[in-house]
Amino acid sequence: MNEERDYSFHAYLRGIFLLGFALLNLGLIMTGNIQLYIASHMMPLIYFATVVLFLLGVIQIIRSTSKNGNIEAACQCGSDHGIEGPKWIQTGIYSIFLLPLVLGFALPDHTFDSSVAEMRGIQYGSGQLAQEDTGPDGAEAAETDESNDRAEAYMDDPDGYLTELDEDAAPEGEDHYTVEEYYDQEQFDNHFETVADEYGSDNFVEVDDTNFLDIMTALDHHLHDFTGTKMEVMGFVYREPEFEDDQMVVARFSMTCCIADATVYGVLVEGEGAEAYEQDDWVRVRGTVEEGEYMDETLPQIQAESFEDEEEPDNPYVYPSFQ
Amino acid sequence: MPKTSGPPAWLKDGFGIVLLLGFILLFFNMANTADDGIFTLPSEWLVVNTIFLGILLEAIPFLLLGVFVSALIQVFVSEDALNRYLPKNAYAALFPAAVLGAIFPICECAIIPVVRRLIKKGMPLHVGVVFLVGAPILNPVVAGSTYFAFRDDLTVFYLRFGLAFGLAILIGGIMYLIFKNRDQLKWRSEELLGKESIDIKQGPPQKQHRLKQTFYHASDEFFLMGKYLIAGALIAAMFQTFLDREFLASLGANDWASTAVMMAFAYVLSLCSEADAFVAASFGNLFNEGSLAAFLLYGPMLDLKNTIMLFAFFKARFVLYFMVIVTIAVFSAIMGVQLFLL
Repeated sequence: MNEERDYSFHAYLRGIFLLGFALLNLGLIMTGNIQLYIASHMMPLIYFATVVLFLLGVIQIIRSTSKNGNIEAACQCGSDHGIEGPKWIQTGIYSIFLLPLVLGFALPDHTFDSSVAEMRGIQYGSGQLAQEDTGPDGAEAAETDESNDRAEAYMDDPDGYLTELDEDAAPEGEDHYTVEEYYDQEQFDNHFETVADEYGSDNFVEVDDTNFLDIMTALDHHLHDFTGTKMEVMGFVYREPEFEDDQMVVARFSMTCCIADATVYGVLVEGEGAEAYEQDDWVRVRGTVEEGEYMDETLPQIQAESFEDEEEPDNPYVYPSFQ
Repeated sequence: MPKTSGPPAWLKDGFGIVLLLGFILLFFNMANTADDGIFTLPSEWLVVNTIFLGILLEAIPFLLLGVFVSALIQVFVSEDALNRYLPKNAYAALFPAAVLGAIFPICECAIIPVVRRLIKKGMPLHVGVVFLVGAPILNPVVAGSTYFAFRDDLTVFYLRFGLAFGLAILIGGIMYLIFKNRDQLKWRSEELLGKESIDIKQGPPQKQHRLKQTFYHASDEFFLMGKYLIAGALIAAMFQTFLDREFLASLGANDWASTAVMMAFAYVLSLCSEADAFVAASFGNLFNEGSLAAFLLYGPMLDLKNTIMLFAFFKARFVLYFMVIVTIAVFSAIMGVQLFLL
């Protein structure tokens, strides 16, 4: 009988912890700050978890009140249900579950800044990350270029598509899918046109949250197509110790699934006025794209013409655009 | 009712109610704490906290999926049924196991409860090992994200999935050679009693209880697994915060060193296998393709958070062998590939 009583107390306590986790999820969703932890396209999973946690919590509490102590007897698994060890170990184990709840509820929500960027290293341009050249604009989405079809084919049926892809690619060798296929000149010009049309001036690209990674990728792979282009980009200021006073990086953190995989992407900016900005200030830079050099490597660089102070946006993170 | 030891019932109930009220109060206070917090920590520890919560919030839905699959197996799949579908020859089971692992979209947080449950139900150990190693990598979602991250040059993509399939079978085979079918799970004494009582034929559980049982199992297993996940996420968050990645890159001077460094890195980061490809891609300018593939192979097979779970549920000797074999297998496969193919 003693064990039964103990057992229902555990069920009761666990029910409360489950409700606690559900409340933490719900609270983060309601304040909108969940976006500081989880990438936006993963949100359906978080909704799912919140509902299931509530449900499990309620079921646990109901279970703890059931009078006919034979909850375990109906089950043949032996015991997976209890919590082992003496009292102090049990307390310790529940404290482990209390820790994320207390931290989550009580600590302020924190956004990543240049100190994290320093530890992680900056991707100038975008490293290897090649994103699909699909902007948010409808004109481009309507285009039936091959790469869009591929993305759709993948979205409809990831498994089948990848198998197909393997079959397609195998005989022709691994080099079949090259950068050029995704960023061929024509498609790239189209992209330019749509972006330029949208902002009503020739040869001008405004980098915003949705196209940040796309443009960084395009800059990295096709710098020559961009040199001489006017560009406006917003982000936080990051400086390496060896930078000149008029040099800085305008950077953003990108998130794929959760904040643990955050990576920093940025573009080198040079120009008079840059020295006025401190590490982590948010700034909007307008200038001309040119070839720059850092650590003996050619990198995209914006020769700045104007700087503008910016507030840190509510959601400082950018996401890959493929989802 | 006999006297219970410990605190009286009203105290226990009261404690729970106070706890719940506390959560509710904190919940309604969240809009205020979002910016300032009730208390606060130095900035770098806020980063640790953010990564810790990020990993956890992200992992919980997957863990829930894992424990529900496990609970459904427990309640609805009988041992007889399982044994009927398994090939009689131990080695013949390896290949279908790897294929099955590729079909189930289960990542590394969810795979441990499922494998543990299947082994408890009588599935051979080495088949479980194939799942453990293969399933987190060989799955459609991971294939998708790896493909997107490395679209420029699919070498890493092919290396990851080709080698994951081969290595899963190889590692499963080696584990069979060492352990045969000896039981490597930890059983508690009362569980062994439970195990016995299964042998004494009981009637099938009553139908109306099955749904209830599934939910009970799922939430109990959530707590069983959850504590290890939380501990692992906390340690991983500290590594994520305090490890300088460019220093890491400076260690990887040659092929073997950079492969070893990337494997160690994958181990401590404990990333979700769905997202690790993008992190690997961000190292494209610092590391060669072989090392990136090593990162993408080793991390999902073995990392900090799942090591803690493995030690909790399997015998220590088994986990140590498993870790050594996986490490050697991944490392030599990558070195071999770099020597002969790249």
